[in-house]
Amino acid sequence: MTARATAIPAAFDPGRAEGRGSADTARGFVTAALLGWRMEANWTDPLLFFIYSVAKPVASALILVFMLEVIAGPGARDLRSFVIVGSALWAFVMSGMAGLAWSVLDDRERYRMLKYVYVSPSDFLVLLVGRGVARIAIGAMGALIVLAVGVVFLGLRFDPGAVDWAMLGLVLLVGLAAIVALGVILAAVCMQTRQESWSYPEAVAGALFLLVGAVFPLAVLPLPAQAAGLALPLTWWLEGVRMALFPGGRSAIGGEGSLWTAWTGSAAPDGGAIVGTLLATSLMITLVAAAAFRVSERRAKDRGLIDRTTGS
Amino acid sequence: MSALARPAAGTPQADAAWDRRRVFLANLRSVGGRAYPRVHGLFREPSWVLFEILLPFLTTSAFVFVYRALQAPPQYVGFVVLGGAMTAFWLNVIWMMAAQLYWEKDQGNLELYFASPVDMMSVLFGMAVGGLIMSSTRAAVVLAVGAVVYGVTFTVDQWGLLLLVFFLTLAALYGLGMMLSSLFVLWGREAWHLTQLLQEPVYFVSGLNFPVGRLGFLGALAVAIIPLAVGLDAMRQLAFAGALGPTGTPPPEIEALILVAMAVAFTWMARVMLRILERLAREKGRLSARWR
Amino acid sequence: MSEPHLAPAIDVRGVQRVYQAKPKDVVALAGVDLRVEPGELFGLLGPNGAGKTTLIKILTTLLLPTAGTASVFGFDVAADAKRIRRIMNMVAGGEQSGYGILTVREQLWMFSQFYGLGRREGWRRVDELIEAVGLAEQRVQRVSELSTGQRQKMNLARGLLNDPWILFLDEPTLGLDVSAARTVRELVVEWRAAVPGRTVLLTTHYMAEADELCDRLAIVDRGRILAEGTPVELKRRVQRESVFRLELDRLAGGAAALAALPGVVRAATMSDGAGEVGRERQSVVVNLVLDDDAALGGVVGALGGLGARIVALQKSEPSLEDVFVELVGRGFDDEAVHHGERPGPPPATLAEMTHDTEEAEPLGSEVTR
Repeated sequence: MTARATAIPAAFDPGRAEGRGSADTARGFVTAALLGWRMEANWTDPLLFFIYSVAKPVASALILVFMLEVIAGPGARDLRSFVIVGSALWAFVMSGMAGLAWSVLDDRERYRMLKYVYVSPSDFLVLLVGRGVARIAIGAMGALIVLAVGVVFLGLRFDPGAVDWAMLGLVLLVGLAAIVALGVILAAVCMQTRQESWSYPEAVAGALFLLVGAVFPLAVLPLPAQAAGLALPLTWWLEGVRMALFPGGRSAIGGEGSLWTAWTGSAAPDGGAIVGTLLATSLMITLVAAAAFRVSERRAKDRGLIDRTTGS
Repeated sequence: MSALARPAAGTPQADAAWDRRRVFLANLRSVGGRAYPRVHGLFREPSWVLFEILLPFLTTSAFVFVYRALQAPPQYVGFVVLGGAMTAFWLNVIWMMAAQLYWEKDQGNLELYFASPVDMMSVLFGMAVGGLIMSSTRAAVVLAVGAVVYGVTFTVDQWGLLLLVFFLTLAALYGLGMMLSSLFVLWGREAWHLTQLLQEPVYFVSGLNFPVGRLGFLGALAVAIIPLAVGLDAMRQLAFAGALGPTGTPPPEIEALILVAMAVAFTWMARVMLRILERLAREKGRLSARWR
Repeated sequence: MSEPHLAPAIDVRGVQRVYQAKPKDVVALAGVDLRVEPGELFGLLGPNGAGKTTLIKILTTLLLPTAGTASVFGFDVAADAKRIRRIMNMVAGGEQSGYGILTVREQLWMFSQFYGLGRREGWRRVDELIEAVGLAEQRVQRVSELSTGQRQKMNLARGLLNDPWILFLDEPTLGLDVSAARTVRELVVEWRAAVPGRTVLLTTHYMAEADELCDRLAIVDRGRILAEGTPVELKRRVQRESVFRLELDRLAGGAAALAALPGVVRAATMSDGAGEVGRERQSVVVNLVLDDDAALGGVVGALGGLGARIVALQKSEPSLEDVFVELVGRGFDDEAVHHGERPGPPPATLAEMTHDTEEAEPLGSEVTR
């Protein structure tokens, strides 16, 4: 056996215990995002990955299109556009919400790495968000493909020249923050629950699906449900993206029988109202998410949940 | 005498020779044993009540409101409610059965099952029984609450056939789940994504929210191979007797026979697939994640 | 199947196991022959990657051999897997398997059902085993809340649920602290004492564990059995000389006086750091290499003539690692360093039970005849 060189230990440098602020945060985020992408993209069968990434959101849209066909026939073009856009965007929402929660479950149950990630000096929440970015990107890809399928095969009329790109960019940015915030809330829940929580993100997304005017106008809902929907940032995000991509299209928020019209007297919210309300509700949900995550984290530490494995 | 052991009664060879009765009883007990953690897990982690029942009910409600927005005839709301109820079983099949052996392998339990003297079919059946409790609860809530809240009226002429179709659908679904569980272990990492692929695409071709007959050839194909499609269509025809008009699909009696064939075929294939799985896993050493 | 009453517990003939891998296939077992009689505790000792686990997987019917045959109590591992599973059980170390949401009692009961025990019989057996392995206080604790040692005790209890005729232990003390490892070993010993005739196949890379527990063992490396025998027989293979460590109150004439005695090959004094603090060194420690053990009598007699009184006398034996080094040309630690792994901590009994003269204090003088 060869002799090992003995290093003379240096005196402890207290500076090592200090972080480097935003540089550490950025590095942690980028590293986690790269890790997330490697894990999502590490397919032995890329074709299967593609099929699953595309088939799921396309099938969701087709379900709704066929429901329309069955009842309204080919004439309900306006409503068909409404449904396709909502369905496409909802696929993106689902990916964003599920990404963070599944990262917690994956790391805790399958890879058993959660504790190591947690005790590293990088902020746990930043790492989690970074991990979720890959799935958000996949969701965005799915949404674009559904829109493309809608344009090519399902009669969705799209005029690039009519798009309000500035509004689209702003709404997407703010909405992304809201979606990530919802994902953080779900991740906080999954830190407390057991292995079978894989289905929880989809369950929550499905429930929100009812309230946000994704595939039918809010006016159809009872008034209390409409009020709940108006308090959610996703409602305003969907409305904003629809307005930006398909100006003049049907509003999910306004219209006859809607709470919005009863409150404001206007048929539908304008761009300013949409952006403003989106900002306000997104800020609210972000604050709630941050608080929920910290509470969950503390409880998880208190009860030793970070490195447990569950299973039934 | 140490409590660690008991006095040996015979020889190893005699102990290894189980008669049919003992084999049967051991397999029956393993069904109960494997169902045990599923059932008791429900009571220890009650969050499933919210996430597996209440929230999915809201998802079903969303589709109800789509039809309301379209001012669809009332039986279409019934379609959605019935579809939502059956979704519970489908999700249980693909998440808690098809993907389950893959999770067991990840956790290191799979090799313990294979090294035990009981049939893996018993273990899978135990998983199915355990999962049925959660999915039955969900289905019952969606059906009952949906019917009351949304005013769904069922018109059932043949209760016996309806119940028979329901149980045949479950048998076919869980047979399919058992078959898929072996495939998923063999396909490894892809299992996760196959599970995803088996949700919305299957909902679409099964006509979860609309009559599957409207899909034409695709619908006919679904009725032939997907238990959810054929079972749901048969149950709709029986639960809303006379309200549908021509569906473009076989009558419920024929669909019941299709379900019988599916149940038998899937269960038989599950057995074959498990044997193939075990043989391949023993040849290639894939039963455990740790041992390589 | 051979005659039942003549069948060995384990009979392995020419077993090979090749894993298909890129860029090159991995030969895990390169032709292994092994026979273990009923009632033995047989050890497979070797470094990581030697093929021990692969062999156990084959014998526990989890893996098929690529070539050769293996049987357990006369039942072929390929053709009679079901019968083997009814009479064997297995426990592996370093695992986290189990359903975290179940309690210890429930986890064990579930497995009792997989082994065909009746419902009530299962609970009764589980409660007995929980007491016997010392988990009574944890019986209603969730599996996810157990410590590593507690979890391994639970695993061992699971391994004994069906009262197996043969128990396969694959590194059962891996990752356990000294106390927990000792408890596991004691339980195995107690079980064997309770039911004579049961067989155990143990794989380990802890030499002291093999030395302590095994009736016979085989040293395995790179898919081959290098040597087989009792621990004493194996050590004798490499011990060509009789080495003794003497502690004397004084030694007139030093090591040279001893080296001149009949039967002494060489003698060397060692510096003795064993004196109490503040106490002047009184004794002299000498390493004696003799032609054979019989020469010791003459040396002891001659010591009286030299005016020396024996304070302590200990025979130095080679360790099983010495045996391994002799057979392979490298140590377990070398192997671990070569693969970038850190060797595991040796159990406390290693330091107590073996004496490696190479690790002794530097020689004060050495005289060779």
